[in-house]
Amino acid sequence: MKRPGRGKRAGKGGTLIYLEQQAHTNLYPPAGGFYPNGGILNQITDKLTYQNPKTLAIEPWIAESWTSNDDKTQYTFKIRPGVTFSDGKPLDAAAVAKNFDTFGLGNKQLHLPVSEVINNYDHSEVIDPLTVKFYFKKSSPGFLQGTSTIGSGLVSPATLAQNFDALGDARHIIGSGPFVVSNETLGREVDLRVRDDYRWGPKTLAQQGRANLDGIKFIITPEDSVRIGALLAGQADFIRQVQAYDEKQAEGQHFIIYAAPTRGVNDGISFRPENPLVADVRVRQALLHATDAGQIVNTLFSPHYPRATSVIAAPAAGYINLADKLTYDPQLAAQLLDQAGWKPGTDGIRQKEGHSLVLSVYESPPQPQNKEVLQLVSQQWSKVGARLNILAGDAGSKTADSLDPLKTPANVVEVGRADPDVIKSQFYPTNRDALLQKGGLSSKVQNFSDDKLNSLLVAISAEVDGQKRLALAGEAQKYLLDQAYVIPIFEEPQVFAGAPYLKGVSFEAVGRPAFYGAWLDKH
Amino acid sequence: MHRYLYGRLGQALLVLWAAFTLSFFLLQVLPGDAILIKFQNPDMGLSPAQIADMRAVYGADAPLWRQYLHTLVDFIRGDFGYSVQTGVPVAQLLTTNLPPTLRLAVCGFLLAAILAGGMALLAGLTSVRWLRGIWHALPSMFISVPTFWLGIVLIQVFSFRLKWVPVINPGEWAGLILPILTLAVPICAPLAQILIRSIDEVQTLPFVAVARAKGASRAGVLWRHVARNAVLPALTIAGLLFGELIAGALITETVFGLSGLGQLTQQAVNNQDVAVLQAIVVISATAFVVINLLVDLLYPLLDPRLKMPAGAAL
Repeated sequence: MKRPGRGKRAGKGGTLIYLEQQAHTNLYPPAGGFYPNGGILNQITDKLTYQNPKTLAIEPWIAESWTSNDDKTQYTFKIRPGVTFSDGKPLDAAAVAKNFDTFGLGNKQLHLPVSEVINNYDHSEVIDPLTVKFYFKKSSPGFLQGTSTIGSGLVSPATLAQNFDALGDARHIIGSGPFVVSNETLGREVDLRVRDDYRWGPKTLAQQGRANLDGIKFIITPEDSVRIGALLAGQADFIRQVQAYDEKQAEGQHFIIYAAPTRGVNDGISFRPENPLVADVRVRQALLHATDAGQIVNTLFSPHYPRATSVIAAPAAGYINLADKLTYDPQLAAQLLDQAGWKPGTDGIRQKEGHSLVLSVYESPPQPQNKEVLQLVSQQWSKVGARLNILAGDAGSKTADSLDPLKTPANVVEVGRADPDVIKSQFYPTNRDALLQKGGLSSKVQNFSDDKLNSLLVAISAEVDGQKRLALAGEAQKYLLDQAYVIPIFEEPQVFAGAPYLKGVSFEAVGRPAFYGAWLDKH
Repeated sequence: MHRYLYGRLGQALLVLWAAFTLSFFLLQVLPGDAILIKFQNPDMGLSPAQIADMRAVYGADAPLWRQYLHTLVDFIRGDFGYSVQTGVPVAQLLTTNLPPTLRLAVCGFLLAAILAGGMALLAGLTSVRWLRGIWHALPSMFISVPTFWLGIVLIQVFSFRLKWVPVINPGEWAGLILPILTLAVPICAPLAQILIRSIDEVQTLPFVAVARAKGASRAGVLWRHVARNAVLPALTIAGLLFGELIAGALITETVFGLSGLGQLTQQAVNNQDVAVLQAIVVISATAFVVINLLVDLLYPLLDPRLKMPAGAAL
């Protein structure tokens, strides 16, 4: 099938057709956590540092070198000379300072929120045109890694001068990356064009200079079967979100499945202990041991979805293997429920003081086959006399109810970031607050807070000694499972599929694709 | 005739205002709101204080009556406001999404009318009993085909297997072939059913027997006498099918990944993007009113008996 721009440069070049499941939302870089956003931002913005996806080491990129003081309250970066944004403005110390002032402090007037990867930010100082220094109120050991994440993509001062609302239009995101947004049909398509004068990719990459492709066309194709069908029929080159049951068919026809690990908090279920049903640790432990993660992975997924062995994924920084705390043991579960005073009722559901052990949870559409996962969990729990009610609901009810622990005692968790800070991101009250603690996201919580957990989480984000920091991350994982605050189920990958002739695709540390080195081979 | 028109116009305005007001208050009753949905998103990692700031900045905490008056006045002036979710003026969303949906709906409806007319004529002309039975059964079968499933089957067969038309990045019109077909099938079914039934009914009327007795052929009678009389009830249904058309367009646009009003509505509903929904409700109500007005004005042209005496007030 002929398409404009395809096969122009024999062997290399051409326009890549990328099918995305959902339209991007706001492209302010700190909102890059949403996968459709990250997929675009990763092509059009560069970062101060480059996190090697294999070693997780932080390497130079726009910053040629950096230093920090011992207690990690000051960082100084030397900027690579000659880098420009696509609007012609220089990417210099002043531009970097402006970026991190905005990401670290937000901008109320322009409605720009603070980035979740930057903790304790105070201010910046431009030392000379190519040197910038950042000051923090408290130790911020995660900052260096934070400068490499998708949420820290550097954008032109012109972009940061826009109102938050205007950044829903991809054309307003001016970066220094190898591709530039050339056109957009809102909610439907985003077109990127290669930047011919690009020559500042990370120096450790094989690819240098201009990207090979001439452009990338992101087309929103919500229907799963249409995305995979179009890829197999040769109408597209690369697709995001491949369901596990489609993987075999694609591989059978020599298409390539890319399962990029997200290296963060595993896909699972967390509890809101403010809710009396799950306030007793024995009940939570019982439900944890009533959950058969192995069966879920084997029934619904493929080998690309490893069974969880801790709160965070095995390739994540600070991971420790806690598989022995995650055993499937329905007998133990039944015992624990007996001890907690939950007696089997006539309909098979356990009762205590007139209440039934029925929990509700909202399905989370971005997580792979989430509804099916929760249904299987519900079946498994019913064997010990508990039930999980799965609610769909519109975004409004879901958002409002999710803040009310009495309405939603359980919650689907998952977040990717290749730094131990990710545990804090997921559970700390002023971050994502998965457990709903007092003083956190919800004003409906009256009592529950866990000071021990919170001090562990704060310690992770502030510990300067790298080894001690990993040890703290291990302690937090143990504590979360001992308290059975969360039931980890599987390590969530981002699963993509690509045509056999598409070469050189790479992935950043938490699974966003990078097309800088990619090309479409003859086919 | 003039007074009739003015009366209908006044009625139309009343319907529009009612639709606007009703939708405004119904949308307020829903739990949550667009700002909560947008900023409570865990990917944003905002604290409650920051979210409260955002609410204040967007003026989401103003009293309801003031928000209502404000929105109503803006609408009358033709200003549809901003979409909270996409951060784009609603007018801009409409100018990109309305034309494709109109094109899809008009073409889908025309094809549906042709299909329905064809089925009805064939049913009227066929004298073989079992074949007539098939023509009669076809519409009920079409009604029960889910649009969603039909779209996917058409894509799998004609695009992926036979490779006749691409679904990804197709030409402007090539990309419409399958969606139009998908939309037309469920729309044509009720039309065909009504047509077939009224043809059957008209054919039992005495004047048909008279025409037959005069030696007119089956086709001649059908064409000259029956069709004209049978088309009136179908026309009424056609006006009402507009709602069906919008629902069908929503599903079709999702399956084919087309931009359009349907897809816009779905996103706006999911995100409670009130400004966008408000505009869509008013536009749909306008279209509904206009279509039904046109249908009413068409009646007298088809059936002279319905012509009003001059000066009649109705």
